Amino acid sequence: MKQFVIIGNSAAGIAAVEAIRSKDKTAKITIISNEEYPVYCRCMISYYLAGEVKEEKLFYRPKDFYQKNNLELILNKKVSRVDPKKNRVVCEDKTQVGYDALFIATGARPRFPAIPGIKKKGIFGLRTLKDAKEISSLIPVTKSISVLGGGLIGLKAAYALRKRGIEVKVVVKSKQILSQMLDNPAAAFLQKRLEDNGIELLLGQDVTEIIGEGDIQAVKLGSGKVFGCSMVVVGKGVEPNIDLVKEAGIDCKDGIIVNNLLQTNIPNVYAGGDVCASSHALWPIAVEQGRLAGLNMAGEKIIYDGSLGMNSIEFFGLPVISLGIYKTKEGDAAYEELKVCDPKENTYKKLVLKGNILVGVILAGKIKNSGVFLRLIREKIDLSSIKDRLLADDFGCPDILDLVKDKEKVYV
Amino acid sequence: MKSLSYDVKKCLGCKSCEIACGLAHSLTQDLFKAVKEEKLSLPRKNVYAVKGKNFPLSCRHCDDAKCVTACMSGCLVYDQDKGMVMHDESRCVGCWMCVMVCPYGAIRPDLKTKIPLRCDKCKDKDEPACVKACPTGAIIWKETL
Repeated sequence: MKQFVIIGNSAAGIAAVEAIRSKDKTAKITIISNEEYPVYCRCMISYYLAGEVKEEKLFYRPKDFYQKNNLELILNKKVSRVDPKKNRVVCEDKTQVGYDALFIATGARPRFPAIPGIKKKGIFGLRTLKDAKEISSLIPVTKSISVLGGGLIGLKAAYALRKRGIEVKVVVKSKQILSQMLDNPAAAFLQKRLEDNGIELLLGQDVTEIIGEGDIQAVKLGSGKVFGCSMVVVGKGVEPNIDLVKEAGIDCKDGIIVNNLLQTNIPNVYAGGDVCASSHALWPIAVEQGRLAGLNMAGEKIIYDGSLGMNSIEFFGLPVISLGIYKTKEGDAAYEELKVCDPKENTYKKLVLKGNILVGVILAGKIKNSGVFLRLIREKIDLSSIKDRLLADDFGCPDILDLVKDKEKVYV
Repeated sequence: MKSLSYDVKKCLGCKSCEIACGLAHSLTQDLFKAVKEEKLSLPRKNVYAVKGKNFPLSCRHCDDAKCVTACMSGCLVYDQDKGMVMHDESRCVGCWMCVMVCPYGAIRPDLKTKIPLRCDKCKDKDEPACVKACPTGAIIWKETL
């Protein structure tokens, strides 16, 4: 009987397990997680923190999931190293688990800036349910909070805490929020929406020190300005959890390097999700990688055709979606941008084309046809024949029927 | 398992199906009352006009549904027996990941309720409301493999 070991109990890990089980009903599958909970949705913990979703809704598989699928689940245990020579993993408490094939889906952890005071109590990332619970338990005694970073995590934390009635200041190093997802105009739209709802944004600023004896009292900016707060949430990006493969001879560079089968340089060791190098940290991508890795571990040979940067967010009723290349250098003749913006209706649509092929999109306010654009990007379709239609309000799937690979079966 | 397809030549673009769809998913089931409901019932089907032809568009319940893979809350599940993507609204948080990836643009984000709307083939009835409402027989409801 084959033995599969999965390190990590989140998006990629669970998708891999389900894929393996779909091919192999009898193999032994062991999941090892250093967290204390059964599988929950990491992306939803900010909704939980905001009080919009109850804890039990975070668990996105039924309670009997592990039992029904005949899985061994080991919680609260950290794998300290992978030993590919002996095909085993070694845990912190020295226990060992042997494997025929291993899937590493250890994810990433928040990156904390190296500034004075960063080790104080009351400074959190927002990555795990434990983080959310710890932050939540302090809300009754918290009046104001500083969020470091204007990326997705920083803003999700800011939104959640504002919803809970806390004064929130977000300190953003770049001149706009969500600089890794949006261009200036779209970011400005969202910025206004956040500010209108009481979140203060400090752009082009950086926190250089966290001040306080014991408890946090204030943060200090590069400009010298100081403002008070009793809690800090850090959203300054993540780093992959690769400590466990440091001495394993597994190739890493800002994450584990995998080939298009999601395989590392060691053939029976696979990796997927946020722990991978150059992977876009996004739920659907982790699920897709996990699924394909699982199928390949179970004997298939399915090629992963690479991830595309994309994300969907909504704050205070304004939805925004970004796909692919969302920003080009000014004056770069290789790219063409088509835009339409309606500040009154709070809508913005920008398409980035390269030689009549769509390579990126930003949609704010109206997002319905996002997936149609995603298809155009993925299939690299020449759009010269319908270019004049792309920005139209009623543009949709029927416009591209003659252009796409799969021919329609529902229209006769 | 039955599914929807369309005879484009017969579709006049009258949008009777859109109205019937909105009405079928309303609380009151009465057109004049339904338009005054607090949460307006939006049609899950839209008719697009392209180059003189009309194309009714709604969720096709793909068996390799991209929306199901993208869903992070676990509220979307593909039901093999019914041949349908099932949506558990009570678990949905309105993250719009499903909208982001639907290759047909067939999922409609209802921003007011923060719930993505899609065709449910009028699950409790023997025939979808759009089929009944179509005056030209352009909407075909038949058994598929």
